[in-house]
Amino acid sequence: MRKLMIASVRTSLCAVVLGALALPAIAQDNPTLTVYTYDAFAADWGPGPLLKEGFEAQCACTLDFVSADDSISALRRAQLEGDATEADIILGLDTATIGEGMATALFTEHQLDLPDFDIPLEWTDEVFVPFDYGYFAFVYDTQSIATPPASFEELIALPQDFKIVIQDPRSSTPGLGLILWIKALYGDEAIEIWEGLAPHVLTVTTGWSESYDLFLSGEADMVLSYTTSPAYHLIAEGEDRYRAAKFDAGHYTQIEVAGILASSPNQELARAFLAYLVTPEGQAPLPETNWMYPVLEPTGGLNPGFAEMIDPQPALLLDADEVTANTRAWIEEAFSTLR
Amino acid sequence: MAGIPTTWRPGRRYVGASVAATVAILIAALLIALWVAGQRFASTGSSVTGIGYLLVTSATQAALSTLLSILAGMVLAWTLDRLRFPGRGVVIGLLSTALVMPSLVVVSGLLAIWGRNGWVNFLLAPFGLETGSSIFGLGGIIAAHVVLNGAFSARIFIDRLAAIPTEKLKLGRSLGLGPLQRFAIIDFPALAASIPGVAATIFLLCFTSFPIVLTLGGGPANQTFEVAIYQAVRLDFDLGAAVNLAIVQLVVCAAIIIPASTLSPAATLFGSPGRMHWPERPWLTGIQQIVLTILLAGFLAPLIAVLGEGFGAISNVLTQSGFWRATATSLIIGTLSALLAVALGLALGMARALQARSSLWRAVLGFPVFAYLAVPAVVLSLGFFLLARLTGLAPTAVAPLVLILSNALLALPFVFATIAPPLEALTRRHHRVIRSLGMSSFRQWSRIEWPLLGQPIGYGLAVAFVFSLGDLGVISLFGTSEFSTLPWLMYRALGAYRTNDAEAIAAVLLIVSIAAFILIPKLFEKLTNARN
Repeated sequence: MRKLMIASVRTSLCAVVLGALALPAIAQDNPTLTVYTYDAFAADWGPGPLLKEGFEAQCACTLDFVSADDSISALRRAQLEGDATEADIILGLDTATIGEGMATALFTEHQLDLPDFDIPLEWTDEVFVPFDYGYFAFVYDTQSIATPPASFEELIALPQDFKIVIQDPRSSTPGLGLILWIKALYGDEAIEIWEGLAPHVLTVTTGWSESYDLFLSGEADMVLSYTTSPAYHLIAEGEDRYRAAKFDAGHYTQIEVAGILASSPNQELARAFLAYLVTPEGQAPLPETNWMYPVLEPTGGLNPGFAEMIDPQPALLLDADEVTANTRAWIEEAFSTLR
Repeated sequence: MAGIPTTWRPGRRYVGASVAATVAILIAALLIALWVAGQRFASTGSSVTGIGYLLVTSATQAALSTLLSILAGMVLAWTLDRLRFPGRGVVIGLLSTALVMPSLVVVSGLLAIWGRNGWVNFLLAPFGLETGSSIFGLGGIIAAHVVLNGAFSARIFIDRLAAIPTEKLKLGRSLGLGPLQRFAIIDFPALAASIPGVAATIFLLCFTSFPIVLTLGGGPANQTFEVAIYQAVRLDFDLGAAVNLAIVQLVVCAAIIIPASTLSPAATLFGSPGRMHWPERPWLTGIQQIVLTILLAGFLAPLIAVLGEGFGAISNVLTQSGFWRATATSLIIGTLSALLAVALGLALGMARALQARSSLWRAVLGFPVFAYLAVPAVVLSLGFFLLARLTGLAPTAVAPLVLILSNALLALPFVFATIAPPLEALTRRHHRVIRSLGMSSFRQWSRIEWPLLGQPIGYGLAVAFVFSLGDLGVISLFGTSEFSTLPWLMYRALGAYRTNDAEAIAAVLLIVSIAAFILIPKLFEKLTNARN
């Protein structure tokens, strides 16, 4: 039996290149790549285990996902740990929280030649790599609503007993997404939209999970979620009663990203993983475990269930710096109408 | 009545004082660790506003909830004490389960009954009386809190009533006391000792209640302090501000805790649990049956709804290896933290029982019991995380230890509320005899306290066990896909559209909780009776 010493980065890169031809290395010689992410990503039913299997087959390394309850918590955890952190990569920040990520000064440039992405904007970020994306939308049940509202104005004009359930922007990505969505569409008039929405807001939940549960149990007519949420019901449950309400003015985009920490001793390996993440093979597990759109055509194509989702165009997105600078003020503005 | 000499049982005094000091130091260390870490990070400016407003709304909501919970608990205990019916033991076992369920489960149970699509509206619909979404808002928050805490206080009060000595009841019966006199002369003094502790616990729970307030409150209009702290940590990463807020919350809670923990309990006679049943007059028994039915429907319907929703999907989760791992983790951590909580409760309770007259000592020994409840979960878990880092241990390695310790401390007020009053009553009643016989501390324990405290200890263990079973606060920072408890697994399932799995796990949690509340106290009664 030949011992393969994987002491240098070059060898591990060779291993990546050799792919399946690489000889199995001895466990303790394997470098470990640690990815901090949000729990749904690392869970048994999330993309984590599939990506681990796929990447480990070609990297001669161990890939570990460490989950926090959400990506901001993962970031804060790495921040608290400082240079001693085990994290090489933080995965799961999104276009609304990239600014928070940059403010920590933890990240380093990815230095990758990224492929042409199939996402709603030109990707120029030198630090973060996008791995999936989606759009915020209100999800409704066709069995109780025939014609959903097609704009915020139509929603506001509905009778008072038409209830929506939203999430707290301080603790939930979609919750923050709604603030940005309304801001992107209405700018300085956003507060008027919020004043109109307030009577329809049944409740504001801490996380997405509680709100979706309220909606499924029939407590609210619509829930703030993603345009791709119905794909889960369609593909995993064979249930086509849930749809996303298409708003003609457009839907706000959420692009999820991953970045490498400057403190990581495994820079090359981290880059190799991000590169793998945006290959057709690396993209393949994402749509049907994370229920978001892939950033490029995955191996085996996209499940036809996704073709039945609404067209979210025009896709809306605010400038990241503007978001970071104003998030608190915008949240405060929206909340003033809900009190 | 001569007091207990201050030199008696020095061992018990030292142990109690050391436990109190250790808990206080731990909490101070958590806050200091957080504050020190906060100095390292430039804050982008805190957005926490309206602290005064938050304080007022939180305190009002908590005071109302506490008052109503104690009243509901008393009425419930009073009816259950007088009535006998098949399944009474199971009902009493069920009473505390809601308190310790993950709030997520409780909210969904309440909604299944009171929500727009709930049973109540379903029953009222034919009469055109639907209530819509009336469960949301301040009324909903208070209703939820009363359901949870009323049942808990009822459970403690029932034990107190059951412990009234038979001779006292016989005397009352021969004097022909009316229902009101009977309550005032016999029942109330027995309950009074546990009211301060129970009320303080409920107040703190309601004051720091977070998910229930957010979900049922309808949003930012009804918020607690805890939410502001959460925001300071999460959104602003302003740890310094979070520590300041946590200290404000501690001070406010201290204003509640200190009076509650210094109050000298009324002199209750204490004997072996009375086996005598003295029902009320027939007309009153009828009224009690009606009241009990209404209250039980309110308390138990949400639990039955949770069981009903989850039962169909249980077979799905039973095949998942992750489920069994999480179950094993939950059971082990629950058992260990329950034992720790009861040990701490006994140590503090014994020391406090020797201090019937010194209100300063009573406060010193009482404060650590409640202090932990007043510290926000997000501050705790971050603080523990930082302490783990300072000691150079990997968070994954210390996760089980932190969970055991924090869950034990979290359950301490409940354990204390069950154990401390009877311990004090025993000490007050028997200290002269014990001293004149020259009994050692150990013999006092094995001959007098242990045989008479079986019931409260059993219940305390059950509460602490189930409390730890339902924890979602600390695990959220220490949980990983490898290290998971049942509530964490449930929350994760919900977050991945797997509602059925989550409902099934909720039902499993509830079944385990009910079993614990019925079996553990029974086991202890057997153990202690065997020694009698």
